[in-house]
Amino acid sequence: MSRLGQLQEEFQRAVLTRSDGFNREVVDSGRIGPARRVEIYADAYRGRLVDCLADSYEAMHSLLGDEQFYRLAHRYIDAHPPRHYSIRWYGDQLAAFARRTAPYSEHPYIAELADFQWQLLTAFDAADVAPLTADAVARVPADAWPCLRLRFHPSLRRLMLQWNVPAIWRQIDAGADRPEAPRRSEQPRPWIIWRSELMQRFRSLGADEAWALDHAREGASFAALCEGLCDWHAETEVAGRAAAMLKQWVGDGMVVGLATD
Amino acid sequence: MSSDRPGFLGFGLGLRIPHYQSIIEDWPEIDWFEIVSENYMVEGGKPLYYLDLIRERYPLVMHGVSLSIGATEPLNRQYLRELKALADRVNPRWFSDHLCWTGHAGTNMHDLLPLPYTDEAVRHVVARVREVQDFMERPMLIENVSSYLTYRQSAMTEWEFLSHIAEQAECLILLDINNIYVSAVNHDFDPYDYLNAVPVDRVAQFHLAGHTNHGDYLIDTHDHAVIDPVWDLYAAALRRFGAVSTMIERDDHIPPLPELLQELEQARAIALPILEEQAA
Ligand SMILES: [Fe+2]
Repeated sequence: MSRLGQLQEEFQRAVLTRSDGFNREVVDSGRIGPARRVEIYADAYRGRLVDCLADSYEAMHSLLGDEQFYRLAHRYIDAHPPRHYSIRWYGDQLAAFARRTAPYSEHPYIAELADFQWQLLTAFDAADVAPLTADAVARVPADAWPCLRLRFHPSLRRLMLQWNVPAIWRQIDAGADRPEAPRRSEQPRPWIIWRSELMQRFRSLGADEAWALDHAREGASFAALCEGLCDWHAETEVAGRAAAMLKQWVGDGMVVGLATD
Repeated sequence: MSSDRPGFLGFGLGLRIPHYQSIIEDWPEIDWFEIVSENYMVEGGKPLYYLDLIRERYPLVMHGVSLSIGATEPLNRQYLRELKALADRVNPRWFSDHLCWTGHAGTNMHDLLPLPYTDEAVRHVVARVREVQDFMERPMLIENVSSYLTYRQSAMTEWEFLSHIAEQAECLILLDINNIYVSAVNHDFDPYDYLNAVPVDRVAQFHLAGHTNHGDYLIDTHDHAVIDPVWDLYAAALRRFGAVSTMIERDDHIPPLPELLQELEQARAIALPILEEQAA
């Protein structure tokens, strides 16, 4: 390795691990010693990443309080030195980290809230595609409906949540000091997050809608959706039910394309 | 890439999220904006929505923090491609990044770390600046950073280091007046020695900013107003470098736009008499 590369490797190690091996490379000006000068960088490194996590995980910070949140943040920083060129992506592993690391793993709502917040964040700046209007759906000829397929907005995310994290998030976002306590439901529930008119939105789905949406995203035709919905609805009702879902998806700004071939 | 100094844009500000709405409602009289490139290297949503509106009305320049021109691993091609794609969208007057390194072996510390002032580092950075300029096909500016330590290896001053690189790589300089001041205090040099050694025809942009005073050292935090000694240094810079596009950087404790516009007025009030005198 070049002399420059070696110097950088040692400096980086000192910043990441607060070790003192690099101090010998630093001029001692008397007024402020090498150790303090290196420490300024190590402090700035941690401070910046903690701020970034607090920014990306505001609700988590609020729910856990300063002490618990900063402890989590520092443990995450120790385990995950940033690698992406943009600090915007720092924190992308927090949910996975909380899921597998004690004591956070004993409180699964922490990982679930982290996942929910991260998905909201990625919906915020996902790609732009103009949503379809209700007119475009109305123009589909009746005989083309069975083979109708949909394309969805790139911001659309599907989650399964077993805790009341969307409610907690909503209350904290509205300024509540004491949001409701984390509560676990019997079964994980399907949720979606997406962006419409620059705002992130989210809602829960019924089991039938979750099934239909998942299959529509994979390219299932309208006829296939109707057939699958027979597991929940009478055969005479499935077409109406599927059409109502489609109408809602379009109205919510989630659908960006139709194909009828 | 020619090193002709691009034209004088006047007095600008860093584009910051809390000001988006008031900018597109009031279209305030600001000569130009500087964007932090990485904030817009995303696929869509609000950042690009506001950017597209604002770039219709104001000249823009791009300012990056992740190029890591002084690192020893190969330049991040993915980063460069995305940077170029953003430049194609924005059509900036120029783009800049810092004379620093940000990480080693795949890690990005998200900090602007100083380089040792050695011939080895000059050669290394010059080659990389040339590579980036060729790829971007646009004028590139490198900015002096604030620093808090000096390497034993360093064999020249920071201003010699900066000047050698700019001359040899044929790139332009973004001179951060506050960073000169901060580093001068931290390393006990005379900021005017620095200013007076930088090649006049290379400097294409000034940064002004505030910092935090920790008693025996200063940290470049961009969370305060510009202080008087930095305004004095700015006046001296105008006398030496002439009409150079000037902007104020504020990244933390961001005040409402009118307050920053007032600070920008202060820059204008210092600059215009000096520039008029030079024109006469
Ligand atoms: Fe700067």
